[in-house]
Amino acid sequence: MRNNFLEIVRKVDILFIGCAFLLLAPVLTVQRTNDFIIFCIFVLAYNLLYGFMGRLSFGHMLYFGVGAYASALTAEHLSANPFAAIAVALVAGAGTGILLGPITVRTTGACFALINLAFNQVGYFLALIALAKWTGGEDGMAAFFDNIWIFDLGNRYVVFGFSLLCLLLVVYIMKRLTSSSFGILLRTIKENETRAKFLGYNTFRYKLAAFVISTTLSAFAGALSIINYTYVTPSFIDTTRNVEVIFASLIGGSASIYGSLVGGISYMIISNYLPKYIQRWEMFLGVALLLLVFRFRSGLWGYISETVEKYALKGARE
Amino acid sequence: MLLSVERINVSYGRARVLSDVSIHVNEGEMVFIVGRNGAGKTTLLKTIAGFLSPEEGTIRFGSDKVNALGPEEMALKGVRYVFQDKRVFTKLTVRENIQLAAYAAGVSLSEAVDKIVQLYPPITRFLESKAGTLSGGQRQILLLGRALIGDPCLLLIDEPTEGLAAGIIEEVFKVLEMTRRKVSMLIVEQNLAVVRRLADRVYAMKEGHIVAEVNTPEDIQNQTLLEEFL
Repeated sequence: MRNNFLEIVRKVDILFIGCAFLLLAPVLTVQRTNDFIIFCIFVLAYNLLYGFMGRLSFGHMLYFGVGAYASALTAEHLSANPFAAIAVALVAGAGTGILLGPITVRTTGACFALINLAFNQVGYFLALIALAKWTGGEDGMAAFFDNIWIFDLGNRYVVFGFSLLCLLLVVYIMKRLTSSSFGILLRTIKENETRAKFLGYNTFRYKLAAFVISTTLSAFAGALSIINYTYVTPSFIDTTRNVEVIFASLIGGSASIYGSLVGGISYMIISNYLPKYIQRWEMFLGVALLLLVFRFRSGLWGYISETVEKYALKGARE
Repeated sequence: MLLSVERINVSYGRARVLSDVSIHVNEGEMVFIVGRNGAGKTTLLKTIAGFLSPEEGTIRFGSDKVNALGPEEMALKGVRYVFQDKRVFTKLTVRENIQLAAYAAGVSLSEAVDKIVQLYPPITRFLESKAGTLSGGQRQILLLGRALIGDPCLLLIDEPTEGLAAGIIEEVFKVLEMTRRKVSMLIVEQNLAVVRRLADRVYAMKEGHIVAEVNTPEDIQNQTLLEEFL
């Protein structure tokens, strides 16, 4: 009975997530909830690598930034159609993944984290200095999009609705992906890659595929943030901001779609509202990280689901 | 001849672990390797499975030379390795463990599950449980069943009964007996009772060398002959 209930909940989770963000919007403001949604897409993309495949990246802002700059440059030089900008951002994200993936996915652990950081640093300086003629350097660049049919970008409710639909689409894709044999294999690579090879898997190909999907979805989040803000600056590709997505993953629980959403929302609430009450709010993040490491190793969502599972098992035994 | 290992040498760094080792396995045969700890039995299996490369000598699978192939390529050729430590993918459910093997072998999940249920019917009760919650014996049967998905040609099994209770050894024995003749097996085993019940031929290893080949049923059943090598 309990299992049936959980099954039903899982089937309608996308509806539930949609309703949750619709309810958040009047409380947090539409603009801010839109930020939350875009950040959640980024956390989901990040967690495909970190949570499901066990590769911690310190340089994922690169792929977010690539998407952001690609869509802004498209609006500036090619077409002001927002869908064209998103399409170019997706291609740029996938292209960057295909270009860098063969180097990065051969590595593991600290090497994987740092090699991504190195590429992120290169990307940051390209945007800031080397390509400043096109990117606007430190000042960044504005991106103005045409209105397409009912897609009026001047209306923040339309942008919010579009971002929410995009999030629900990404959640659906991630659900399908992580429950498929491909997703199971990624978790296996996380647990023991050598054993996966003995089953006949060329793990390199699967790791590369996961990396490219992750960079593409990160670029998608970057493109959406340009539609939301209508400008891009080097802060969109800044290496120091990688900590945001890492924290969000740890807070929510990395190897879970729901955990990514809980982490994304929790981090955004902390970073948006805590500075109002505590001047050096970043200190709180340090304390939160200590708590997570010592008390909630599987994140908030992981802790909740483990507790529910424990009580369900206890109830079944009684 | 399905597998032919000809005069291979394998080292870990400077330490020579296998010296001039030659063995063969025919189709449908169940061949055992016995020997003391450190004799090089597991190294030999790992070399055949593609995890290690021989410095000298040749490994042939069918008519192909497979010295330079990695574990995934050997698996695709139909060689499956069952590890000694009985480590399944603990965070996946039993069904997901099976699904993983089925996906690699290009077999449907239902077909793969049916195959393992035929080998060990009680597994149906654990399909949705995390594989980490299974007992050692159940894990071993899951590993054996998983290795059999997709009709492999050769199973390399490292100490299948090590650390198992007598009751579950019998279950593992039944699984091996059921698959006998359907697939060739090269098994490292210290439990001579199992060797005597199942072996077609036995190789004895000592300090990285093959020191004897026991290939008559009388010699395999001889109570003292094999014990000399342990």
